[in-house]
Amino acid sequence: MASISVPMPGAQAAPRPRLSEYLRWSVDHKIIGTQYMVTALFFFLIGGGLAMLIRWELLTPALDFSPTGSAYNSLFTMHATVMIFLWIIPFWAGIGNYIVPLQLGAKDMAFPWLNAFAFWLIIPAGALMLAGYFVGPPEAGWTSYPPLSVLFSGDGQTLWIISLHMLGISSILGSINFIVTIKNMRPESMGWFQMPLFVWSQLATSLIQILGVPFLAGGLTLLLLDRVAGTAFFDPSRGGDVLVWQNIFWFYSHPAVYVMVLPGMGVLSEVISVHSRKPIFGYKAIAFSSMGIALVGFTVWAHHMFTSLSPELRLPFMVTSFIIAIPTGIKIFSWIATMWGGKIRFNSAMLFSVGFLSQFVIGGITGMMLGAIPIDIHLHDTYFVVSHFHFVLFGGSVFAIYSSIYHWFPKVTGRMLNERLGKIHFYSTYFAFFFTFFPQHLVGMQGMPRRVAEYAPEFQILNIIISISAFVLGISTFVILFNMGWSLNHGEIAGPNPWRALTLEWQTSSPPPSYNFKGEVVPFEDPYGYGTEASRVYLDEMEKRLTPANLLGKGGDSGAGASPEPMTGD
Amino acid sequence: MQNSRYSETFDFERKRQLDEELRVKNARTGVNLFQGSWIFTFVALIIANLQIRSSSPAWPPVGVEKLQPLLPTIATVGLVVSVIFARRAFRALKHDDVRGFLVQWRAALALGAAFVGVMAFEWLTLTPAPEARIRLANGVEMMSVLTQYNSMFRVMTAFHALHALIIGIYMWNVYRGIAQTTLDSRTLWSVEAGAKLWYFVVIAWMLFYVVLYWL
Repeated sequence: MASISVPMPGAQAAPRPRLSEYLRWSVDHKIIGTQYMVTALFFFLIGGGLAMLIRWELLTPALDFSPTGSAYNSLFTMHATVMIFLWIIPFWAGIGNYIVPLQLGAKDMAFPWLNAFAFWLIIPAGALMLAGYFVGPPEAGWTSYPPLSVLFSGDGQTLWIISLHMLGISSILGSINFIVTIKNMRPESMGWFQMPLFVWSQLATSLIQILGVPFLAGGLTLLLLDRVAGTAFFDPSRGGDVLVWQNIFWFYSHPAVYVMVLPGMGVLSEVISVHSRKPIFGYKAIAFSSMGIALVGFTVWAHHMFTSLSPELRLPFMVTSFIIAIPTGIKIFSWIATMWGGKIRFNSAMLFSVGFLSQFVIGGITGMMLGAIPIDIHLHDTYFVVSHFHFVLFGGSVFAIYSSIYHWFPKVTGRMLNERLGKIHFYSTYFAFFFTFFPQHLVGMQGMPRRVAEYAPEFQILNIIISISAFVLGISTFVILFNMGWSLNHGEIAGPNPWRALTLEWQTSSPPPSYNFKGEVVPFEDPYGYGTEASRVYLDEMEKRLTPANLLGKGGDSGAGASPEPMTGD
Repeated sequence: MQNSRYSETFDFERKRQLDEELRVKNARTGVNLFQGSWIFTFVALIIANLQIRSSSPAWPPVGVEKLQPLLPTIATVGLVVSVIFARRAFRALKHDDVRGFLVQWRAALALGAAFVGVMAFEWLTLTPAPEARIRLANGVEMMSVLTQYNSMFRVMTAFHALHALIIGIYMWNVYRGIAQTTLDSRTLWSVEAGAKLWYFVVIAWMLFYVVLYWL
């Protein structure tokens, strides 16, 4: 197994911004990105704590600490809402904010002020969301179906709606920022098909968000009016229609799941290629399939409504749900082909990416099963569904998030994460995750419903196994958090390019200076061109340019934009 | 940190120009994307309208007064004319005709304000729907469907009016800025942005107008 590159002799960590800079308004995309990521991690812990309470409740078939079912309802409502809107989506916004301008060789995003504004919306929105606990928490599930969300939920439901409005605006503004940056701020030599695939995935994600989030905004407005203004858009007894909510909500929320997973797929393209030292297989296929998933994702929404739709309307959605497996499968096979014959180093970043491959595929297969109408009629609202989406969201998105942390922590902080702790984290997470969620397929198929705190006694044994594994999973989270905290000051110095990767973010110091790149930016012709002589020459030249002496400005004309030496001789 | 030879030969003026061009190009792309995105909020409200009316046997429901299109149609024509004025004003400014710009932009704003005034009048003088309780054959009492028609009208026009007001205020600030100071490329961009956002207001209204008054 090849080891990581040893940092250059005499390497020092480049100066990091002071802590106070992260606690106030800044328009630097790197600071904003870090703010997003740390905030998201904080909400990850809150959502995880709620999950622990859910699993504690489910240790026994009877009601335990929830005095009524309502308290349990608010647990899973807040767990899902916090995880989706305050953890995964903001984290991808954060790492995208940090890495995309660097990968494009740009100084910053297209709209730095808007970028900061979009981040700072998250703080009050998150506070408002959690404040619901003090006024009667929302109980209607993250899907917030009326009439429950209009008539029977506490005042926290209104706060939930307002909070989501703010988060939606944040998403739209952030997405506009990404698209404009990607479209207008690439260097001259970087055409659309020389961009790293992580950038493609952020582009696809942003396109989904600008098209889908406004629908959520419209629906939330109507729901808010129903709650506070006495309108009856969703009240059938007064001429309204609950299906209006379901259609509008799911038209956004299904594409939202692709928002949550596409950046992770972009991370996989980066990590797998770099750590297999091989060109990515099927660059254009992966790029186009990202866009394909974004597009087809808007056609499948009613597969969440198979049990509420009239029967003749269901069939087209089953067909489109099957179709969306195709671009996804193209990516999976491309990544496997990328690894094939490569010089793979199984460090923590690579382990989590490979872990994604197995867990996400399981989740994808159960998704196909649920896309089949006859199966869904039986399995709708059972634990089978819960298992499916946790496989794709945790085994998929969260694994990819972990992978991105291990891969890019050296760039962001200038220090390597501890590999041994990383491996402990991976193996404990992988197996605890599997034993938490795989048995849920079984209880689901046997009929255990979701969102209910009491269940039939025959399910208890599996639920105990699930809960104990979940507690182990919860504890394993602290391994990476400890690793990050400890490595900040005690980790090995990373240097500019510890992975000897070819994309532009690695061709500057770690962490980058506030202006990102010193001198002219020279992208390599192929961001995944590993294993060629030209790439070796490029990397050696970059290493020479980024020696500590040069970085501190003591070199001669190192900043004047010299291009790499021609490919002659050694 | 660059050595003195480099800064002697580096063309700072050209860089500033390119940066400015990039800033305007970015802003243009951004406004286009924002409009393409935000129109879907209006589409969502239209879909809600269409779905609710499809579950009612008659639209407007029996007993509710149908919206009269005469005054809103006049207001809509006024709005379309205001967009023509806004466009002409922008073109005048591009050809350095500041006076032409000021006159036509003012006309656009006046027509826009008139439109908002007329629709506010419509909003305030809407005949309330009768609050009837109906008793079904099985003895269940239900509020009738009568309120939906008016609710939808109020929500849609108010939502649109909010946007018209915000963008109108932006256009008013642009007007004040040009009346008082000199032009530069950033001013020209602010006028282009105002005009484009005004197109957006009008297009959104056309969609609502058709759904509310003619479908």
